[in-house]
Amino acid sequence: MATLLDKIWDAHVVHRGATGSDLLYVDFHLLHEGSSPQAFEGLRLAGRTVRRPDLTLATEDHVVPTRGQLGRTGVAATMVEALRRNCAEFGIPLHRSGTEGQGIVHVIGPELGITQPGRVILCGDSHTSTHGAFGALAFGIGTSQVEHVLATQMVAFAKPRAMAVTLHGALPTGVSAKDVALAIIGRIGTGGAQGHVIEYRGPAVEAMSMEARLTLCNMSIEAGAKAGMIAPDDVTVEYLRGRPYAPTGKAWDDAVASWKSLRSDDDAEFDRSVDIDVTTLSPFVSWGTNPSQVVELSGAVPDPADAPDPAGRRAAERALTYMDLSPGTPMREIPIDVVFLGSCTNGRIEDLRAAAQVLDGRRIAPGVRMLVVPGSAAVKRAAESEGLDEVFRKAGAQWRTAGCSLCVAMNDDSLAAGERCASTSNRNFEGRQGRGGRTHLVSPTTAAATAVAGRLTAPSTLETA
Amino acid sequence: MSHTITGRTWVIGDSIDTDALYPGFAMRLPVPEAATHVLYDLRPGWAAQVRPGDILVAGRNFGIGSSRQVAALLRYLGISALVAEDFNSLFHRNAINHGLPAVTVPGVSGMVTEGDVITLDLEAGLLRNGDTEAAFSPVPPMMLEILDAGGLLPRLVAAGYLADPSGKDRP
Repeated sequence: MATLLDKIWDAHVVHRGATGSDLLYVDFHLLHEGSSPQAFEGLRLAGRTVRRPDLTLATEDHVVPTRGQLGRTGVAATMVEALRRNCAEFGIPLHRSGTEGQGIVHVIGPELGITQPGRVILCGDSHTSTHGAFGALAFGIGTSQVEHVLATQMVAFAKPRAMAVTLHGALPTGVSAKDVALAIIGRIGTGGAQGHVIEYRGPAVEAMSMEARLTLCNMSIEAGAKAGMIAPDDVTVEYLRGRPYAPTGKAWDDAVASWKSLRSDDDAEFDRSVDIDVTTLSPFVSWGTNPSQVVELSGAVPDPADAPDPAGRRAAERALTYMDLSPGTPMREIPIDVVFLGSCTNGRIEDLRAAAQVLDGRRIAPGVRMLVVPGSAAVKRAAESEGLDEVFRKAGAQWRTAGCSLCVAMNDDSLAAGERCASTSNRNFEGRQGRGGRTHLVSPTTAAATAVAGRLTAPSTLETA
Repeated sequence: MSHTITGRTWVIGDSIDTDALYPGFAMRLPVPEAATHVLYDLRPGWAAQVRPGDILVAGRNFGIGSSRQVAALLRYLGISALVAEDFNSLFHRNAINHGLPAVTVPGVSGMVTEGDVITLDLEAGLLRNGDTEAAFSPVPPMMLEILDAGGLLPRLVAAGYLADPSGKDRP
């Protein structure tokens, strides 16, 4: 009667704290330049070393440019240089920008086979929830905990509660994991999974590819969850087979056998359960300034007066002012200036393939700027070997190099004030993509169709547009 | 050690996210400079008006978003405690780990007007604003220990879990 969360948690407890907080062993610790400098500074000041550099890996993603080379001067160069110096000093493997293994931390972890079922994986980044797609317990930590993990390979946490989100039925054609994630957050809210680890279950999850599962788990944090996870199955095993960090030989067979036991028992009890019938879902898009403010693309901007409570009404009013939208406007009539395809949510090869399929033989609308930013150097190479880069270029989109780019706007990719963007990223907070910029969260195919139409559009309505 | 905090309040709304508190562009700046941009868009010029000891009172779902170390900026500005209807868990944990008290007080937005001077008793779980009082779950002993030490890492040193070969730890 144990949940998947119970099983992984119990297998990693080093010490049960008297006051409800357990000390957990950490199987793998991922780093990027944005969240680690103060942690290394802390280690250095106290004269400590990194306990397990072999179970630690760093990459450069948040501030790296997605065209041209990293400059020698400037803030981005300083941050990257600090990470390089820290990794060299403490003996941590680093995937530098411009090298073949570089990419967004949550894209390269799975790609390298570091993300494995049953592991506890941490990173000083909230979207670490992504890795739970493999049946790992993966969550974001703050800088002081990064320092704690570097020094001890352990972390102290109170055990979160378990929440089951069961997806019933089969996804309709044209509806992606991103749409499902937005639909879930729209239903339960940005605090809906507060204090819980979500386990996604049900036939629609089992039918998902590994990449779709990564998208789903990635967005768990936007529902306030500590983490998201999916029990490993054959899809998981086949994805991992042959990856650089995956075990080989007998170790592989043993690992697969143990991974198969990593599932919630049939009689496991969850603290909370949410059931969603996916058969009636259609593409979703955000209209406001947090990821719960979403509607179906076929719908209209909601009226704040219809909000269930005064706080919701005030939030909606403020969001509509910031977004410069009026209640009742059909979402499909909203014109778009910029389209961003990429991020740890939707920057994988399947995402690029899906968008390219929509763009093949079409041109993006005049006046629209579209950035296609692969999630990793490996995704970029794969896309180029399939000719996807040519499809994007011919359509008029910009083909960039790997990084977080316009999802977090910490490099030179950002929106100008007032610009409106259809984005495959994960957050539509005010100013997220640049001060005064307006974000509509969408799936990769909606992003591509929107680029062609110049306004929010799903591929299914593109032909008749 | 006293676990009572008294300070002047600033009141902000629901679902205040980490990008509003610590904007992406400020992630590229040193802490003292980044701290001037806290709530840059929601409350322009706010950082300059904060006085040491002030308390930040928020509504529901405070701190949704990223793992960026907002608490470091708030502490730099002199904020002495955070109070909210409820917190995002990563944000809450980050605050405690940076030695910044953060307490969940259901109903707080209805009982504090900006500028009120309130008192928080972390150990007893009591918020006092003039003649009105509200109870909240007392801060657990482990969290008090972290706060007393000034943050997670100093606490681990104090407890003997981490060596302190330099003979001094950071505040």
